[in-house]
Amino acid sequence: MRPAARPADPLRQVLPMLEVRWTRVARAVALGTLALGFSVGLAAAAAWLVARASQMPPVLQLSVAVVAVRAFGTGRGVLRYLERLASHDVALRGMAALRANLYDALARGPVTRVIALRRGDLLARVGADVDAVGDVVVRAWIPAGVAACVGLGSVILVGAFLPSAGATLLGCLLLTGVLAPWLASRAAASVERRGAAARAEVTGRALELLEDGQQLRVAGRLDGRRAGLRAADARLTRTTDDGARVSGTSAAIDAGAQTLAVLCSLLLGIPAVAAGTLTPVELAVVVLTPLAVFEATSTLPAAAVQLRRSREAARRLVALLPALSGAPTTVVHPASDSPFDATPVSGAPPTPAGQGADMLLRLDGVDAGWADRTVVAGVDLALPPGAVVALAGPSGVGKTTLLLTAAGLLPARSGAVRVGDGGALFVAEDGHLFGTTVLENLRVARPDLSEDDARAALAAVGLDAWLDALPDGADTMLGPDGADVSGGERRRLLVARALLAPAGVLLVDEPAEHLDAATADALVATLAAHARETGRAVVVASHRLTPLAVADEVLLLGISSATGGRAARVVARGPHAALRRDEPAYAWAADQERAGEARVLPG
Amino acid sequence: MKPLDPRLLRRARAARWYVALTAALGVAAAGALVLQAFAIAHALGPAVTAGSAGTPLALSDVAPWLGALVATIAARAAIAWAQERYAQKAAADVVAELREQVVAHTVALGPRPAGEGGAAATATLATRGLDDLGPYLVRYLPQLLLTAIVTPVLVLVVLGLDWVSALICVVTLPLVPLFMWLVGVMTAGASERRLHTIERLGAQVLDLLAGLPTLRAFGREIGPGARVRALGDASRRATMGTLRIAFLSGMVLELLTTLSVAIVAVGVGLRLVEGMIALVPAIAVLVLAPEVYLPLRRVGAEFHSSTDGLAAAERAFTVLERPLPAAGTATAPALAGATLVLDGVGVRAGDRAVLAPAGLTARVPLGTGRPGGGRVVALRGPSGAGKSTTALVLLGLLRPDEGRVLVETAPHEAPVDLADLDPATWWPQVTWVPQRPTLVAGTVRDAVTDGRPVTADALEAAARTTGLHDVVAGLPQGWDTPVGLGGTGLSVGQRQRVALAAALLDGGAPGGAAPPPLVLLDEPTAHLDARGEQVVLDTVRAWRAAGRTVVVVAHRASLLALADQVVDVASRTVGPVEAVVS
Repeated sequence: MRPAARPADPLRQVLPMLEVRWTRVARAVALGTLALGFSVGLAAAAAWLVARASQMPPVLQLSVAVVAVRAFGTGRGVLRYLERLASHDVALRGMAALRANLYDALARGPVTRVIALRRGDLLARVGADVDAVGDVVVRAWIPAGVAACVGLGSVILVGAFLPSAGATLLGCLLLTGVLAPWLASRAAASVERRGAAARAEVTGRALELLEDGQQLRVAGRLDGRRAGLRAADARLTRTTDDGARVSGTSAAIDAGAQTLAVLCSLLLGIPAVAAGTLTPVELAVVVLTPLAVFEATSTLPAAAVQLRRSREAARRLVALLPALSGAPTTVVHPASDSPFDATPVSGAPPTPAGQGADMLLRLDGVDAGWADRTVVAGVDLALPPGAVVALAGPSGVGKTTLLLTAAGLLPARSGAVRVGDGGALFVAEDGHLFGTTVLENLRVARPDLSEDDARAALAAVGLDAWLDALPDGADTMLGPDGADVSGGERRRLLVARALLAPAGVLLVDEPAEHLDAATADALVATLAAHARETGRAVVVASHRLTPLAVADEVLLLGISSATGGRAARVVARGPHAALRRDEPAYAWAADQERAGEARVLPG
Repeated sequence: MKPLDPRLLRRARAARWYVALTAALGVAAAGALVLQAFAIAHALGPAVTAGSAGTPLALSDVAPWLGALVATIAARAAIAWAQERYAQKAAADVVAELREQVVAHTVALGPRPAGEGGAAATATLATRGLDDLGPYLVRYLPQLLLTAIVTPVLVLVVLGLDWVSALICVVTLPLVPLFMWLVGVMTAGASERRLHTIERLGAQVLDLLAGLPTLRAFGREIGPGARVRALGDASRRATMGTLRIAFLSGMVLELLTTLSVAIVAVGVGLRLVEGMIALVPAIAVLVLAPEVYLPLRRVGAEFHSSTDGLAAAERAFTVLERPLPAAGTATAPALAGATLVLDGVGVRAGDRAVLAPAGLTARVPLGTGRPGGGRVVALRGPSGAGKSTTALVLLGLLRPDEGRVLVETAPHEAPVDLADLDPATWWPQVTWVPQRPTLVAGTVRDAVTDGRPVTADALEAAARTTGLHDVVAGLPQGWDTPVGLGGTGLSVGQRQRVALAAALLDGGAPGGAAPPPLVLLDEPTAHLDARGEQVVLDTVRAWRAAGRTVVVVAHRASLLALADQVVDVASRTVGPVEAVVS
């Protein structure tokens, strides 16, 4: 039952973070042992009572047994209740400690580690995975401990009367307590491993039908796809079925072993009575006690499956933690321009400013990209105080990747990134809003922020009317992750928070997303005006071109046969007006934005 | 909620035979338990009696009963094996059956299968949600059936052996559910209040952890560590408070069942002394008593899987019981050269009191299928006016709430209402390119040809028109590059080009049927660059040149400039708005 003593066991690696107090575990195991022990005691005492009663002794001689049977019958429920409370307390303490330790480890680990986490991943790890690791206490350790104690106690009890019967009971208990759980765990593992691909296919096909069902109907391909889903589900069922054969064997062992133990006791006990080494009353105890013992091991197959599940969850947690795992975690491979959902993050500058200290940010021949490929190549950029620079280019060209590299959150694949005093702050498309007040959310950027300063910052991004409409003003609570604010309000709150940060350079990704054209343009203008006033620098990535007129320089990223290969380069740079004049594609795209607004959206 | 929903048996064939099998296994299990009790009693009883009398038995004296015990071992193992083995299979089959029905029914409900939670809820149900049925079918349902079968059988057997013990069972058995219900009712309010607290505390911890990247950005990550710990502690205390109450019902269950067994045992013992019962039936009763209560105890233990499973089934049935829209039955006329007439078409937008489109009236002549007979019709209007909805109406996927769509084939023929036509005869005459086109899984070539015979020349021409040959040239294996379900591995723009090329080849195979005279194109709105725009324009021109009518949902000026006819689409809340035909 216990995890094998391998150094790589992730459950063992995570264990210290649970801060388990072993006295509490021992208490829960003791209570559980007593509860099940009472069951065994009830069976043994009842067997003794019935056998002795059949000899028709004076009733007084039975009174102890009668009291014992009644006590065992009453105590079990109460003890089991106390055991469940004790074991859940241990588990909940473990989960809380694990979450806190996980937080600390991530907060103190390297920043690139944190940025590389997808929001969904992070939530799944600290949510379901921590629960799964905590469940190991209630569903695996304590049942295993209880089963071991009760099993051993029963073997000793039976063995005291008839050693050979004790031995056969032990053998049967090992069948149900070791072999059956091992089989169940193996079955679960095979279903999980072989079913993963089949399950993914079923999910994919079901979602395709739901999302694209109307197209498939019109194109006359619906029946084919339905058959495809059915076939995929049949494959999934087959993998379940293979596992079910093994777990069926486990269940069969469980069911048969109990009766086998009784049979062995009879086979050994009846001759022992004839030989005079066992009294008839003791025979009844030896034969009937095993009937109650196997309840202890009946939970172990499920415990073994839980142990496996918890270990898998622990493995994912270990992978999350820099201190525990040598290899890097999830390599984020962005399918879109926005690889993470939860950001603004600033990193420690990869290189101190060095020469050109008057520059807030300097890129020299930088190749930006992910572990396996360069996305944007050969970028040179220098930002003096007050500079406003824009990155333009089609979606997916690598604007976000370049911003992350400039912020020091992704190592440059070649070239040098130098960040001046104050650092650089990356403001992602979808940063996190905390489930607290508006003011506290802004204080994340500046702890000593006054309410008036907060109001000013919100007014700068056009949220003053919104703030006035809130029931408690800046003290209004936002729902978890800003569930109560609209997409546009959220973008503006994130920008307002970024403006309050002390960073020298703001790297803002798609500030115009989710905003209508006029608000979007005004927000970019606010950022530019702010930079020029305060002597900070701003880089804005935008697929919308109209607002970029306020930038000192626009870098147009693109992939063409001239750039060779698949990495994007800066295909043109200069002020918005110059690019409109010289770059037909840029001019065309900018015209489209205007024409679209003028003709398609009247008013 | 009923413990076994009859709709589950009606909808899922696998559930029907599973319940029958489990019931049969339950009867067998009852038989095996009775046999086991008698075998033990008849082997042990005489051995004790004879031993007490000083004339010990030999094993051979009770050999038949020991043989019976061996048979019980085999029987119980076989029953447990079959139960586990077929329960797992049945659960997987039931989930698969329901999944297919839910998916198929949702698709048949049309493009707006409005329901609680919307599309996301249905998607969750069809992927992970139905899995909750697994534990219900595998663990809970068998115990429920055993309670219904084994418990009465065993009580009857006990009655035959010792009516007093049977009476104790009959009196105590109903107390178990009664007391559990009482405890449940008394604690329900308190648990719900506490559960709310627990959820809130849990959400706060997750909120801090999810915002960790943001906190690190601003250098504020160290302080909240203590808060995470404090919240975790508060959450534990609140949870323990709930559990103290929640576990009470479990305690009542254990207390009543074990105490009943103890009462039976004591009663049997005392009556043995007075010679009111023989030893053999006494032992049989002693062995059977815990088994009488066992299924009921297990039902209590698996109660949670029952509520989760039944809730999942309920969600599936809610979807399946939504009525399907009526479909027409008449065969659609040949569309080439016909005219589509929109007559005051209005569609309600979801639950809102908005018609989008509203009062849309227009005549759209359809292509003749001959070069020169084509036409481009642009649907124009602000977002939310109902342009895409109009396309869905023309496809026959959505019925107008007001007005109608007529098909005029010839001046002297009576026009037919689109709503009366069998969609299966309408759709082969229409090509539809939605904003997010689906792609066949396979190679890029498969995605474009979709199994149709297409010559290399036609494929090359379509690829050139749609700019797909640029995409293919950049792919590692060219035309043979695999693309996954939904075209994973391709960007939105690339996927669009594949879909345009596929639509361009639709029905245009050499020697095949004439291309569908009507093309409906929902122009992609976002993230389209100059080249992407050009591709759409070229494709639309190619369709027109082939003599097809292209109805395009236009978002950009360039497409409007290309159109032969512009239909303005508008929505309204109150009062009629005339559609303008330019």
